[in-house]
Amino acid sequence: MDKAITVNSVTRRFGEITAVNNLSFDVMSGEIFGLLGPNGAGKTTTIHLITGMLSKHGGTLQVLGFDPHKETRQVHKRIGYIPQETNVYLDLSAVDNLWHHAALYCKDLSNVEERIGDLLNLMNLWERRKNPVGTYSGGMKRRLALARTLLHDPDVIFFDEPTLGVDVQGKHVLWEYIKGQQAQGKTIIISTNDMMEADFLCERLVIIDQGEAIALDTPEILKAELGRDIVNLRTSPAIEDPEGLFEGLNIQAMKRQETDVVRFEVKDAETLVEEIITRVTHGYHLESMRIARPSLDDVFLYHTGRALRD
Amino acid sequence: MNRFRLLLVNEFKLFRTTIPIHIIGIFQPTLMFSLMALILVKPTFDMRVVRPTTPLGEELVSAMHEVGSPIGEKYINPILVDPPSSGNLPGGQVIIVETVDGTPTAVQRFGLIDSNIVKNYRNRLTTAALSLWNTSLAGRSITIEQHPWLSSDIPFAVYFGMAMLPLAAFLAAALIGAFLTAQEFEFNTIMEYRLSPISMFPIIWTRVVRLSLTGLLSAIVLLFTVGIIGGLWPSSLLWASLIFLALAILGGCLGTTVGLLLQSILPSFVIGLAVSFFTWILGSAFGLSAGFGGAYEAVSRWMPNTYAVELLFPLYYRVDIGLSQPAILTLTTACVIMILITTFTYRQKVLKRHR
Repeated sequence: MDKAITVNSVTRRFGEITAVNNLSFDVMSGEIFGLLGPNGAGKTTTIHLITGMLSKHGGTLQVLGFDPHKETRQVHKRIGYIPQETNVYLDLSAVDNLWHHAALYCKDLSNVEERIGDLLNLMNLWERRKNPVGTYSGGMKRRLALARTLLHDPDVIFFDEPTLGVDVQGKHVLWEYIKGQQAQGKTIIISTNDMMEADFLCERLVIIDQGEAIALDTPEILKAELGRDIVNLRTSPAIEDPEGLFEGLNIQAMKRQETDVVRFEVKDAETLVEEIITRVTHGYHLESMRIARPSLDDVFLYHTGRALRD
Repeated sequence: MNRFRLLLVNEFKLFRTTIPIHIIGIFQPTLMFSLMALILVKPTFDMRVVRPTTPLGEELVSAMHEVGSPIGEKYINPILVDPPSSGNLPGGQVIIVETVDGTPTAVQRFGLIDSNIVKNYRNRLTTAALSLWNTSLAGRSITIEQHPWLSSDIPFAVYFGMAMLPLAAFLAAALIGAFLTAQEFEFNTIMEYRLSPISMFPIIWTRVVRLSLTGLLSAIVLLFTVGIIGGLWPSSLLWASLIFLALAILGGCLGTTVGLLLQSILPSFVIGLAVSFFTWILGSAFGLSAGFGGAYEAVSRWMPNTYAVELLFPLYYRVDIGLSQPAILTLTTACVIMILITTFTYRQKVLKRHR
């Protein structure tokens, strides 16, 4: 696969604050790439740097072979950007919003009407196409914003917090649309602090904290690199000495979560299930056992010592 | 009490969120009063006197210097000028001292249309003539001739309405321009323009054209209202519309520029409103600025409305006041400059990469 975007040692400061510090990553053509990090980590700044809206204080950038700071118009022709706040004209209809976008972005206006119809159908907005956008739900507005971005057929789409403020059902609908765009060959970069979203959508992601990349890989590899599973046991009565009970199993981070629930981390929990059950059932009644894979929040916690939501 | 103090301190700190509104709210009336006082409230009237060529004329000028109110303010400040060219609007009052049929005569030509102010000028001139008569004329008579510049009286309501036409065009374009532009920033729709690969010129031009047509519509509505109520219509609706368009372009550019700079709806709207009324009042709202002369005229020369009124006046009153060509040139230049300023501001605030 070709590289769609190259970010190489990019730095951006705002006065004394370094918002992006020596950040490097590549995004391959046709992949969904995530910028994951807490609020204020530098995700939006990174997108603004890549799209040429912000000047950089160091490093190099390439978008589809163009330097966004020198060949800005070439880059803008080929990208679409959906910011955090849905920036559609609320008093205009969906159709009017799309025509406005077409006037600003589309080189050839001859097939716009047909394309607007296709996109409104694709985004399930056709029935409401003539209503003022102010009457739309949050999810509908985000879908309209996506339709608008797709109108000029960009090769790369930047999604800043794609499902911010959208309900659970709306999130899943939007995720499917985003996946659908990837299937059409688009390169998609999303910034998010939603672990589920990153896990569901991103083929690869970079975890950013305080402007620095702290991990970069696929979500599966990042989680697997932790090498530990999380085990929760509920017993009756409560286990009196869990450390003693599981001695020799190389258990870490033992914690009593509730009176009758203990939580611990262990490598390859699946291979130890039988042994754990045997030891527990010798003196206790096992009411439930849950083994969970680490989440991206655990990955973030591992690298920074803080939870992602902090 | 501590809670009250904290809330009060915070109330005052909140001014940071609306600095332009605070500046306008606090200082606008003072600024307006100061300017009006500087321009209009003068105890001594400037009177232009054609440089006298006779001893009698020089004595009348001396008498002008001497007469004043009982509390000491001078009535007249004579300013010696060359004779006005025929047909031109006299700058303020022009007094020519000459001998008509053997009688010393002060010929008073005035370009004012407000008869009340004309009366005040005449009274003060009469006081100076009386002083001259008492001291130098030894029983000879002296005459004051008044030469109004227009042969017909102008209903002030019509003048007032005519002078509001530029305001209508300017105000509508400035307010709507300021609102729409600031709204783009508040709703973040400006991002659409920021990332657009097309040239910025069609974007700016479409907005200027839209605002200009809105301003034109506003002025046309007022034009018909003035016509229906006052019974006076411009000789050419086309020319009048072109004048309105120029003012609307200026207002639209001003509003757009203010919106680009402030990026917040309410302050932009208020500043658009304040500037519109400022340029109206100081831009020949109550009479041709050349007729007033002095400080008012000097300030009015910086207001686009002055030039619009000078172009509208001949259309309404069918008289050539000899100011049309400079007014056309000035308005055209002002439009070009404002469009350039707006374009530059757009480039700086929307397209330029943030440093």
